[in-house]
Amino acid sequence: MSQTFRLGLFIVATLAVLVAGVFMIGSRESMFQSTYRVKADFQNVAGLADGADVRVGGLHEGTVKQIQLPNRSDGKVTVSMDLQKATRDVLKKDSVAAIKSEGLIGDKYVEISFGTDSAAQLKNGDTIASEAPIDMSNLVKKADQLLDSAKSGVADLNGTASNLKSISAKVDQGKGTVGALINDKTVYQKVNAGATALAEDAEALKHNFLLRGFFKNRGYEDASDLTKNAIAHLPESTPMKTFEYDGREIFAKPNEAKLKNEKTFQEAGDYLQANKFGLAAVVVSVGMKGETDKDRVLSEGRATAIRDYLAKNFRLDDTRIKTIGLGKTNGTGDGGKAEIVVYSAASSAVGPAVGPAGSPALQTK
Amino acid sequence: MLIDLLQATKSGIVSFFEWFGELGLFCGQVVRAAFGAPWEGRELVRQMDSIGSKSFPLVALAGAATGVVLSLQTRESLTRFGAKAMLPAVIVFSLIKESGPVITGLIVSGRVGAGIGAELGSMRVTEQIDAMEVSAVNPYKFLASTRVLACLLMLPLLTLAADASGIFLGWISTTLSHPMTLRLFLHNGLRDATLNDFLPPICKTAVFGLIIGFVSCFQGMRTRGGTEGVGRSATSSVVLSSLFIILADVILVRFIQVVFPS
Repeated sequence: MSQTFRLGLFIVATLAVLVAGVFMIGSRESMFQSTYRVKADFQNVAGLADGADVRVGGLHEGTVKQIQLPNRSDGKVTVSMDLQKATRDVLKKDSVAAIKSEGLIGDKYVEISFGTDSAAQLKNGDTIASEAPIDMSNLVKKADQLLDSAKSGVADLNGTASNLKSISAKVDQGKGTVGALINDKTVYQKVNAGATALAEDAEALKHNFLLRGFFKNRGYEDASDLTKNAIAHLPESTPMKTFEYDGREIFAKPNEAKLKNEKTFQEAGDYLQANKFGLAAVVVSVGMKGETDKDRVLSEGRATAIRDYLAKNFRLDDTRIKTIGLGKTNGTGDGGKAEIVVYSAASSAVGPAVGPAGSPALQTK
Repeated sequence: MLIDLLQATKSGIVSFFEWFGELGLFCGQVVRAAFGAPWEGRELVRQMDSIGSKSFPLVALAGAATGVVLSLQTRESLTRFGAKAMLPAVIVFSLIKESGPVITGLIVSGRVGAGIGAELGSMRVTEQIDAMEVSAVNPYKFLASTRVLACLLMLPLLTLAADASGIFLGWISTTLSHPMTLRLFLHNGLRDATLNDFLPPICKTAVFGLIIGFVSCFQGMRTRGGTEGVGRSATSSVVLSSLFIILADVILVRFIQVVFPS
């Protein structure tokens, strides 16, 4: 190996190291690629240094070249960055530069967001918008405030909880209105009494002259009155006597149960007073006009009205007077008809009562 | 007695400054001789070979050892501080910024400085240099400037060799305990490096080369007193050039920090 060859080999080898080193380091500084410069103004660069990374989409695409303090107190710190040409496709005028940190205490770098597709391209020397960096000390301060407020919040909650506790304790002990409501039986009793009184008041109202007419026309005051003394059908034995009346003559209006010409019942009443009877059934039917349901109620109402009249005006055992509302019945004429069918005591066994109240008369001898 | 002491101190101070004065004159003569024909090309190549390529194994070995030691030592420290990921960066930065240049300078000053001092010293005491002057060959040009220039050119290249072998052996040492590819090692190591971290320290060793060349040639050419003087010249060449390299490094590091901020 000649000395010249040896020297040449040495020189070439070491220069190759030099070239490799220069390019490996230089490529990081974007020294050998065409770049363009972009600026961003920050109020505070949070320790960003010259030569720091500029990342686009998380990739190293540039270097911070210069950080300049403003020359006026109301100015901003200008960060100049050299970016590779390739980033021109994604960085637009509305891209935003943000100073970020690798981990909590790591190196600072600038991250530039992608722009919108429609925005204008960046030109050399353009200034883009910036985002204030997260300052660790600020972060710690805010976290501290947050913890403080959380603490007072918890204290408030504790207060609320203790209030609730005392409230529930008072309720349990029967103190206060709610406590009394829950624990005091007298309240319930009073409410109950009040309800009873109300029912009585309502009853009184029914008899009040203003409302009396309505109930009188209807023939009954309570729906339960209608069937209180009703029986399903007549006894099978032969009646002692039957009184028949035309509906139009004894009732004021075709669709009401209010009686007129009450004197008509004098004969029947006298007969019942005079003779010992086992059962007297007031059988009422109405004409074919109107709805079936309403007519049935009307017939029951009319029967009840007749029975009430007899019970009120004659001295007789009203428990033995029963009603049957037949409702619509063919061949009774438009006004309907009423019958008082009287049975002797021996032949007055009847079928089961329809009414809920039942009737002692059903067990007549 | 006191007068003797004062006399000795005085003569010491005087000779100290005289030494610097003579060195300055010598440097001036060498620089003046270096410019202008005839170009001693063959002698320059010979010197570059003996200073550069023949020092390569020694320098590469020293650099490799440094890389291994750095890897072994700093891994322990960095692990203690929880910064083990910084190991490649520490090795690379340490080598290219300081260890590589200084180790190279000291190794070359030891090997080449001693050689130049002894060679020129023996030429001086055997009156070969005087014979050269008589035969109209400028010894400053033929002997000194070629050696100084060779040192100047070779030191940066030797530094690169030291850096490269140091980083490579540093990687091997690292990857044996904690496997990682050379690519990743270099990526991590050079991630934060700039050319200002790399090139100025390389160029700085050219100054080391100048120091080795000038001091060794000067010490060799002013040799007095036979073979004993030759030995003194060889020793003083190594001692003085090593000392000046380290002193110059202080100034150069500060100079680089100011002129080439990273």
